[in-house]
Amino acid sequence: MSGVQLVDVTKSFGAVNVIPPLNLSFAEGEFVVIVGPSGCGKSTTLRMIAGLEPVTSGAIQIAGKDVTWARPKERDIAMVFQSYALYPHMDVAGNMSFALRLAGTPKDEVRRRVHAAAEMLELTEYLERRPKDLSGGQRQRVAMGRAIVRDAYCFLFDEPLSNLDAKLRATMRTELAILHRKLDRTMVYVTHDQIEAMTMADRIVIMEKGHVQQVGTPREVYNSPRNLFVAGFIGSPSMNFLDAELRADGPRVTGQGFDLPLPPRLREAVDGHRSRQVIVGLRPEHFAAPRTDGGTEASSLAPVDLGVKVAEYIGSSQFLAADIGGRQISAAIEVGPDSAPLTSGTYLFDTNRIYLFDETTGDAIT
Amino acid sequence: MPDTTETIVPAAERPWDLSMVGPYLFILPAVTVMLAGLVYPVIQAFYLSLYDWKIGTDFGDAPYVGTRHFIRMLGDENVWESIWVTLRFGFWTISIEMFLGVSLALLLEKPIRGASVFRTIFILPLMVSPVVVGLIWRYLFDARIGWINYYLGQIGIEPRVWLGDASLAFFAIVFTDIWQWTPFIFIIVIAGLQALPSEVLEASKIDGANWWQHILFVKLPMIRSILLIALLMRLIDVFRALEVMYILTGGGPGRATELLSLHIYNRAFDTQQLGYASAISVLLIVIVFLLSFAILKMGNPMSEKADI
Amino acid sequence: MSSGPVNITAASVAAILIATASLANPYEKYEGTTIVVSWPALSHFSAAETLVEEFTEETGIEVEIDALQYLKLRDRQILEMSKPEGEYDVVSWVVMWKGEYVSKGLLTPLSQFFTSGSLVDPHYDIDDIADAYLQNGGVVGGAKGYLPGVSGALYGIPFGAETSILAYRKDIFEEYGIEAPTTYDELTAAMTKLYDAGVPALTSRGKTGHQVTAGWLLHLAPMGGRIFDDEWNPVVNSPEAVKAAEFMRHVARTGPVGIETFGFGESAAAFLQGDAAMHLDTLKIAAMSRNPSLSKVDGNVGYALHPEGNRCGSETGGFAMGIPANAPNREAAFLFIQYMTNKAGDQRMVELGGDPIRISTLQNNTEGFDEYPVVAAQLPCADPDWRPLIPEWNEINIDVLGQALTQVITTDDPIQPIMDKANEQLREIMEREGYYTWASYRDAR
Ligand SMILES: Nc1ncnc2c1ncn2[C@@H]1O[C@H](COP(=O)(O)OP(=O)(O)O)[C@@H](O)[C@H]1O
Ligand SMILES: [Mg+2]
Repeated sequence: MSGVQLVDVTKSFGAVNVIPPLNLSFAEGEFVVIVGPSGCGKSTTLRMIAGLEPVTSGAIQIAGKDVTWARPKERDIAMVFQSYALYPHMDVAGNMSFALRLAGTPKDEVRRRVHAAAEMLELTEYLERRPKDLSGGQRQRVAMGRAIVRDAYCFLFDEPLSNLDAKLRATMRTELAILHRKLDRTMVYVTHDQIEAMTMADRIVIMEKGHVQQVGTPREVYNSPRNLFVAGFIGSPSMNFLDAELRADGPRVTGQGFDLPLPPRLREAVDGHRSRQVIVGLRPEHFAAPRTDGGTEASSLAPVDLGVKVAEYIGSSQFLAADIGGRQISAAIEVGPDSAPLTSGTYLFDTNRIYLFDETTGDAIT
Repeated sequence: MPDTTETIVPAAERPWDLSMVGPYLFILPAVTVMLAGLVYPVIQAFYLSLYDWKIGTDFGDAPYVGTRHFIRMLGDENVWESIWVTLRFGFWTISIEMFLGVSLALLLEKPIRGASVFRTIFILPLMVSPVVVGLIWRYLFDARIGWINYYLGQIGIEPRVWLGDASLAFFAIVFTDIWQWTPFIFIIVIAGLQALPSEVLEASKIDGANWWQHILFVKLPMIRSILLIALLMRLIDVFRALEVMYILTGGGPGRATELLSLHIYNRAFDTQQLGYASAISVLLIVIVFLLSFAILKMGNPMSEKADI
Repeated sequence: MSSGPVNITAASVAAILIATASLANPYEKYEGTTIVVSWPALSHFSAAETLVEEFTEETGIEVEIDALQYLKLRDRQILEMSKPEGEYDVVSWVVMWKGEYVSKGLLTPLSQFFTSGSLVDPHYDIDDIADAYLQNGGVVGGAKGYLPGVSGALYGIPFGAETSILAYRKDIFEEYGIEAPTTYDELTAAMTKLYDAGVPALTSRGKTGHQVTAGWLLHLAPMGGRIFDDEWNPVVNSPEAVKAAEFMRHVARTGPVGIETFGFGESAAAFLQGDAAMHLDTLKIAAMSRNPSLSKVDGNVGYALHPEGNRCGSETGGFAMGIPANAPNREAAFLFIQYMTNKAGDQRMVELGGDPIRISTLQNNTEGFDEYPVVAAQLPCADPDWRPLIPEWNEINIDVLGQALTQVITTDDPIQPIMDKANEQLREIMEREGYYTWASYRDAR
C-alpha cells in the first residue's frame, strides 16, 4: 500500500499520554491538513512521521515500507518547520542545496534544481544572501525551497505560515496549493488555522487532545460536522450554539427567542426523538436580512428576532453581535456595500442549514 | 495679520539638549575605569622600558636609556627563542584543547544518565588555582617520587626525568595545560551547543546529514563565534600563562619551557632587569594585539548578530 | 617610633642617676633601653629567640624582634636605614647585600665599639670566630670590595653562617667498601663505583637557573676555577671550569634520578630519603638528617671535608649582624651582638639548635654533633670568593651560567664549546656594564 499510514500509533512523554492509539491513512499525492487547537498533538504526530520523535507503540509506513524505526534520512521526506530552521551560516543557495549536496548529487544537477526552485519561489535574486538578511516571508520561501528541491516522496509542513502577516499568509496559501498541483506529492500539513485547512486540503483531519474527531474533505467537514467540536472549529466566525427543545409539531426546534421549522433533511433523523432537549447550531453566515423580493428560496427562510448590539461594517457584509432571547450570537449578513448600519429587528435564517446535536454526547443528529 | 514678509529659515542644526550628551555621560565611568585599568598600565610599562631600573633602588635614580632596551631585545636570541616556545606551546595546547573540549562537549551534550555528574567532575580542574595545579603536576611528574614514574615503573618502563629533559618537560607543560584548560573549552562549547535551535539541527537530519556531517557542517559552523571567542581567550591566556610553568619547571631545563611571560618574569625578578623586562612586555602586548586582531578579522564574534 | 624619645630620655635619666655610683655592671647604663632587631624568619633565628630572652633577663635591655620573610628583608631594611632616624638598632643581612649596604653608607663600622673599653668584653675573643665567616659576612672593602684585605673594615659579626661539607651514607660506603673521598678524583671514582652497583651516588641541585649554577660553583673553587680573573675577564671556559662542568655532568649521570629538576630542597630530600649516597652542600644537612620528620637516614650519616681538587675550598654563606648608621641605640645594639656571639652565646646557640660560628664551640661539642670536627677543620680553607658579589651577578648566574650548565647536564654536547659561548656572553654583559673602561683606557695610551 502506498501513501502514508499510521497504525495504532501512540506517544507518551514519560507518564503523560499525548497521542492515544491513532490510525490515519493518507493516499499518495494527497494534500492532507491536520488541524486542531494548540497543544492537541499535531506537531507530535508530524514529527513521528518524520522520524524526529520515536513512537511509543504502533507502526508507520511510508510508500509501502515500514519506517517505524527508520532514521529521518531513510524516509524520503522533506519538512518545513514553523521557525523555518534555516542554516544561519549558509546563504540561500546553500540552504536549498544542502540536502542535495549531502546526497552527492552532481553539481550541475544541484544548480539546475536550486535555480528552478528559486525561480518558482521568486528567490533568484536572493540566492547569495544569508537568512539574517531576508524578510520573514522570504525566509519562509527559502524553507519551502529547501523542501521542494528535494523531490521527496512526502512533504511535511508544521505551521509554516503562522509567523507571516495575514496578507502574505493568504498569498502563500494559494502558492502552496499551486505547488502541490505541480509537484503531485503527498503532503501533510499541520495548522491550527481552519481557513488554511479549508482552502488547501484535499482532506482534513481534525484533532483534539490527540483524538481524531473527523476526517473528510473540506465540504464534508463544513457541511456535515460529526460533532459539536468539529462544528465549532470549522467555519469562521464560529457556529452559534443554542439550547432548544425538539418539538414533534412541524417538526420544529424552539428555544428562548426563536422557533425554527426543521428542513426535510432532518425530519427523518429526529423521528425517534420527540420532545427532548437538543443543541441547535446556526452558522453566522446563514442569517440574512429580511427580503422584499420574496423568491422561491424564501420557503426555507424563517424569521428570527435579533437584538443588534454592534454592527461591524466589513464591506459587502456586516458582522453583527446580537442576542436571541438573551443569548449572545454572531451573524454575518450580506447586504451590499452601500447599506446603512443594521439595527435590531426581524431577520431571516436558512432552515436548510440548521444543525442539531445531542445534548449529552455532542454528536450530530442526522 | 501675519507678517507675510517673514520667511521660515530652517534650523541649521538640531537645537542642543541634554539627551545629546546623555549617552556619553553614561559611558563616561566605564571609559574612565577602562583608561585607568587597561591603558594606564600599558603606558606605564612603555615608560618603564625607557629606563634602566633595578629593583630596590630609587626609580628617580634610574638612568634614561631611550630605545636601548628595544634594540637589545630585537637582537636577543633568548627573547625570540621564548616567543618560539610560546607559539609552539600555544599551537599544541590550543589545538588539542579545542579538539578534546569540542569532542567531549558533543559527547556529553545529550541529557543521558550520569552526564551531569560527569560534567561537574570534568570541570573541576578549572576550579583549582593555577599555583595548586603547578604543585600537583610537579609532584606527579617528579622523577624520584612522582606517581607517573611510579606507575610507569609498575609496567616496566624506566623512570624518566619529566621536568629535566627538554622535550619531556615541554610535553609536561603542554599536558598540564591541556588538563587544566580543556574543561574551559568544554564548558563554553557545551553552553553554545545547548543554545542551538533544535529545529535547525532536526532540519539537517531530515536533509540527510549523517553523524559527522551533522557535526561538521551544521553544529560547528553554528557555534563558530563561540569557538572563535574560546580560541581568542585561550590564545591570550597562552601569552599570559605564568604560575603553572613557574612552579612546574621555572622555564627549564634551559629555556625549553620558558614562555614569553615567564621570560619576562625571570628577567624582571630573577635577574632584576626591570626596564628590559618592561621592553619585552611591550613586545608581548604587541604580539597579543596582532594575534587577536587576526582572529577578529577571521570573524568578529561581537559583530555577529543573534540569528534565527 | 613614637616611644623612641621617651625611652632615650628614660635611659639618660637612669644613666645620670647611676653615674654617681661606681659601675658594677657594663649593662647597667642601658637598662630599660629597648632595641629593635631586624632578622629573617629562619630556623637559626627562631632558635635564637630563647637566647634573646636570656639577654633581656641578664642585662635589663629590652629587645623587640622584627622577623621578616627572607625575601622581604632587604627592602625593609634599606627603607629603614635610609631614613634620617631609623627604627632598627640591629640588622641581619645576607652576605650578598653587604657591599651595597656599605657603599650606600648605611652601616656603622664596628671598630668604633671595639675601641671602647667599657663596651668590649676582653674575653670576647674575636679571633676565635671562624675567619672565613668573619671575612665573608662582616668585612667590606677589601679587594674587589667584598674580599678580605688590608683595605677592608669590619661591619658585622657572622650569625647564622654556614659552609659546605660532604655528608655520606656510612652504611652504603661500608657495604661497597668505599672510603670517604678526600679528593675529587676519589669522589669521581666512588660515584662511578656506586652507580655501577645501582646506587644513586651524589645528589645535587640542578634545576635551570641559579640552582644548577650553585651546584657547579661548589666544585669550581676546589678545582681551582673562578668566574673572573683579577681584571674582570670571565674565565668560565678555563680548563678548571670545564673540568667542574664535566664533573657536574658526571654527577647528573650517576646521581639520583631528576637532578635536572632539583632545587636545594629536592636535592637534600633525595639524600635524606635514602635515594642518594652523598650530599655535598651546606652543613645544614647534618641538622636536617637528625630531624625525624625529614630524614630516614639518621645514624647512618658520616661527614668529611669538602673534597679537594687542586686546592681546598668550601663555600661560605649565610648571615651576619651589624648596626645601622642611623640606629638610635648603638651601644646597646653592640652589647646585644656581643652577647649573642660570644663564647657563652655561641654555646647556647648550639644547645638551642642553631649553627655555631666559633672554632672553640665546634671543638667543644663533638658529642652528638658528628659534623662539628669536620666543620672546624673545613673552615680554615673556606673560600669567600667562590662567586663574585657584584650587581651583575644575578644575570650572569641565572641567564648565562644557569643556561649553559643546564645544557651541560641535560645533553651530550661537547662541554668546551658550551662554556666558550657562556664566557663570551659574560664578557658582553661586563662590557655593557663598563667593567673594561680601565683596560681600554690603558690600551689606548
Ligand atoms: N518533548 C516533550 N515533552 C513533554 N511533553 C511534550 C513534548 N513535546 C510535546 N509535548 C506535549 O504534547 C502535547 C502535544 O504537543 P504538540 O504536538 O507540540 O502540540 P501542537 O498540536 O500544538 O503541535 C502538548 O501538551 C505538549 O505539551
Ligand atoms: Mg505545534
